[in-house]
Amino acid sequence: MVAAVALVCLALPSLAQDSLRTSRMEEVVITGTGTQHLLKDAPVQTEVISRRMLDSYGGKSIEEILSGLTASFAFSEGDMGSQMQLGGLGNAYILILIDGKRIHGDVGGENDLGLIDPHNIERIEIVKGAQSALYGSDAMAGVINIITKKHTEAGIYADNSTRYGTHNDLRQHNTLAFNIGKFGSQTNFQLQRNDGWQNTAEEFAEATVLTDSKNKTVNKFRNWQLAERLTFKPTNALELYAEGSYYKKNILRPRNGRHPSCDVYTYDLRYNNASAAVGGKWFLSDAALGTQRNYITLDADWNKHAYYYDYTARTYEYVLLKGEEYGDLDGEWYSVPMFPGQSKLQSDQQRAMAQLKGIFYLPGENTLNAGVEHRYDYLNAPDRTATGTASDWTSALYVQDEFNRLRWLNLTAGLRLVENRNFGLRLTPKVSAMLAAGDFRFRLGWSQGFKTPTVKELHYRYLHVMGSSTFFNIGNVNLSPQTSNYYSANAEYRGSKVTASVTGYVNKLDNMIALVNVPVGEIPAGVTTAYLGDGSDNVQARMYKNMDDARTWSVDATLSYRLVKQLSLTAAYSYLDTEAHLYDAAKDRMTTVTIDGMAHHKWSAAATYSHAFCPRYKLGVNLSTRGSSTRFYQNNGNGKAFQIWRINITHDLGKAGRLLAYRLEVGVDNIFNFVDRTMHPYHLGNNTSGTTVHATFTIKFNQGKRVNNPITSTKQHLNNEED
Amino acid sequence: MKKISSLILAAAAFCLAAPMFTACSDDDKNETINNIVYNIVSEYSYNDSIVAAQKAKSKKDVAVLLVAFGSTWNNAFLAFDKTKAAYEAAFPQADVYVSFSSDICINRASAGENTDDNGNIVKRDYYEPRYLLHAIGAAKYSKIYVQSLQVIPGEEFAAVVASVKKFMNNGYIASVHLDDAYLAKLEKDEAIYLGLPLLNDPDKDVPAVAEELNNLYKDEAAQGVVAFMGHGNPDKYDTFKANIRYTQLEKALQKLNPNYFVGTVDMSGNYKQDVMDRMQDKKINGGKVFLHALMSIAGDHAHNDMAGEGEDYWDEEDPTSEDNSWFEFFKYYKYEPEVPVVGKHPQGLLELEGIRNVWIEHTKHAEFLEDAYHSMYPEE
Repeated sequence: MVAAVALVCLALPSLAQDSLRTSRMEEVVITGTGTQHLLKDAPVQTEVISRRMLDSYGGKSIEEILSGLTASFAFSEGDMGSQMQLGGLGNAYILILIDGKRIHGDVGGENDLGLIDPHNIERIEIVKGAQSALYGSDAMAGVINIITKKHTEAGIYADNSTRYGTHNDLRQHNTLAFNIGKFGSQTNFQLQRNDGWQNTAEEFAEATVLTDSKNKTVNKFRNWQLAERLTFKPTNALELYAEGSYYKKNILRPRNGRHPSCDVYTYDLRYNNASAAVGGKWFLSDAALGTQRNYITLDADWNKHAYYYDYTARTYEYVLLKGEEYGDLDGEWYSVPMFPGQSKLQSDQQRAMAQLKGIFYLPGENTLNAGVEHRYDYLNAPDRTATGTASDWTSALYVQDEFNRLRWLNLTAGLRLVENRNFGLRLTPKVSAMLAAGDFRFRLGWSQGFKTPTVKELHYRYLHVMGSSTFFNIGNVNLSPQTSNYYSANAEYRGSKVTASVTGYVNKLDNMIALVNVPVGEIPAGVTTAYLGDGSDNVQARMYKNMDDARTWSVDATLSYRLVKQLSLTAAYSYLDTEAHLYDAAKDRMTTVTIDGMAHHKWSAAATYSHAFCPRYKLGVNLSTRGSSTRFYQNNGNGKAFQIWRINITHDLGKAGRLLAYRLEVGVDNIFNFVDRTMHPYHLGNNTSGTTVHATFTIKFNQGKRVNNPITSTKQHLNNEED
Repeated sequence: MKKISSLILAAAAFCLAAPMFTACSDDDKNETINNIVYNIVSEYSYNDSIVAAQKAKSKKDVAVLLVAFGSTWNNAFLAFDKTKAAYEAAFPQADVYVSFSSDICINRASAGENTDDNGNIVKRDYYEPRYLLHAIGAAKYSKIYVQSLQVIPGEEFAAVVASVKKFMNNGYIASVHLDDAYLAKLEKDEAIYLGLPLLNDPDKDVPAVAEELNNLYKDEAAQGVVAFMGHGNPDKYDTFKANIRYTQLEKALQKLNPNYFVGTVDMSGNYKQDVMDRMQDKKINGGKVFLHALMSIAGDHAHNDMAGEGEDYWDEEDPTSEDNSWFEFFKYYKYEPEVPVVGKHPQGLLELEGIRNVWIEHTKHAEFLEDAYHSMYPEE
């Protein structure tokens, strides 16, 4: 898959685009090593989704982009966010970076990917396994680095993009950027809205099949985000920035249900995110133009992810009363009615991070990358932790050396030393080698991962009412850290018309942490009464436990073929198998299980046509398909196999270099109307609503002039993207 | 060095700004506390007004508060109605109130859980015992009975005891404190009574309930096994050890007829498979098995865990799974399970007049809850 994306990226630029500034061979990646490499020479296998692929595909969300343009990801959108899988492993094992910074916050193990504005993505790099010493050994499944667009031209840039489609789906994006002298500013706004949809009114609840359930397959939602980035370059050798963002998302649930045990909701869900960051990059030497320069970066950031219930009807909640305001009730768990219009915080995850790193080009063709980072996590969950709050910290020190002495061989070795408040010190090594022979590349990699239990896995507990199923999920302070060993082998060919790649990997995890069913008796004393729920055994207690071990193995293959100048074909395929061993306390034996959501086969393919009929008009057509075989689950049935087709047509109007440019885009997704109507709450293979149509109109105003930064002109440079 | 200084300065500025965010969190916290205090107080007021209106209407001076875990089934609501009516007949001088200790049951009952037997949605408002008890105190009833509708003296019953003690100690938010002189008088007059669960006393209650059950089911016991399904208690260090009552009841029943068995859904070592093991120990390897709920009402457990029929209640790969119903379990092992129903539903204990009377007798003979009151103002 990695290769698939890489190939696709490479192929697309080579389409009949007269104005290509860079040839496809010059794609630069940074995620694997933290240093810039041409994609073909990246020591660590890296998959790229380029801006051109993004433009021609026209995805409305990061979920659509990752599932449509690679074969490695699987998604199931839940109430709370997106359940994502990469190589069979879920969100907790996937590190998502925006410009090198970790996105923050999860609810129920799902990340809210609405935070990522698809219109603002320059490119996406994907590195599988815990192969990068830079980004933490906890990225056991891999790293997704989303590199955003940065408008660094002198003058003013502004754009407006409005996308509208089926289900009242609205995606609005705006950028306003200007650069005056040493100062720069970029403001981004995005809004996303969708009315949601229902694939089936059937629901298994209360021991019967209801035929009038109002539960939606995807709930109505709306979110918006405002982000600001300020830059200041006092000298050619120093870049400083400060940035901040605010994000809000509302998930609105059905109000017209008739069955309180499954489709009547007395509260909606809301997230509030905020972030702030400052940092800078300092070039240490004034070497001659065109040479690589040593530099140091320092970054500090703060993130908040708060999750609320917004009540829509009177609801009794079991609340831990803490504070002298409660008088004689201080310290008690109490039943408190919440009224419509009121909100209650469920969890507030905050994180502060600081990172200092440097890249040094040493004699003997060595590139040394070294850094330290410190991370502090704070959880405020008044009714969902024993004492109301919990915290954790982790420090890390890493060094990585790239040895490039031999033209045909690159060796990269890294060490990451992690110290965690609860789990002490741990050293994890990473090694990769790349052999170059003409248009062929061969890569081998081995890396160790180390992931300490998160604050939530240790301390969080809550009643999770999911339609007619009620779970009581409990953190476990007796968890051990998870460890992994990742082995990969890759062969790649990059010819002028054809690129092909095959990658095999095995990821072995020990002490893997998962939510597993436990007897109700394991619920901590004192909260049992509240959490027996409606008195039925519909409440299933689940606790985070270390599974004994888990293993995933996969083969990814990609192919790209440029038929003619205007037309290219790409295909990606991923085979996956998983196996986990779990101790079943009730039966006193080991059981072997597949990891939930695993599918053996996933694929995607596309035909892309692009032609400039005249300097003022360019047509692009992208016909693509993606599919998956059956997804396996331990409970509630397997997800059906699916294959979905999609077409996106773009019209670019306006001459290059002019003040204004326009783009009109129309598309049809799921052309053959595939719909999985499996009843709630059984698993769907895909939650698409069937055929949808969309249209986007974009207008860009660019009064800017490109200024070349003499320091970084040797390779495509996007400021601070490698941080 | 200048450059490094700039970087460090920037980081320092950031760190200085961070407390502002924390301040925002504090605002959040204060707003939440204010909301919750307001909500609790208004819920007291609302319960107070309901009880005050009832007292004004009935002009009665005795209150009986029945505390059940709760249910969302309409047949259970009807069972509670019947129980309330029976109490009103037994305590003609008293206002009788029914409360649910489960928040989810209250929420779902008022939202309209399930339907009546004609398919109509039934919405019922129930109240939480701590709020209703406050209201009873605010209305200054001169005699109060708090009756547990639990079957065994376990964790749920411990919560009932705790709420009565809290009441007697005026343990509320300051603005809604009860009249302390009134509470002192209740104590002095020995006018607060705690009615104990159905199977509280192993020597008196257990044989009495066994007798009543045998009266009701002896015909069934003559034809085959009669198996009762109780709930079970966590039996942890800080809750009462109550599960032994099921064992004691089985013993008492078997003295009357060896065909009686008592199991649970949640007591370790006494699940459906343990019941079957005990049956097989007695060489009962087939024949009829009549299934009855040993719970105050017939709700989810009785309908699903006990009586559930069909593939949704059966996983052959894991016969003892807690998701498998008793009905399907005994069927699989070649017994002939049968769930006797009245109308369309199995019966809960509150629907059985003889058993309900055991509870009513508990209330009638409820003891004064000694040492529950400690003045909030001991120095006075």
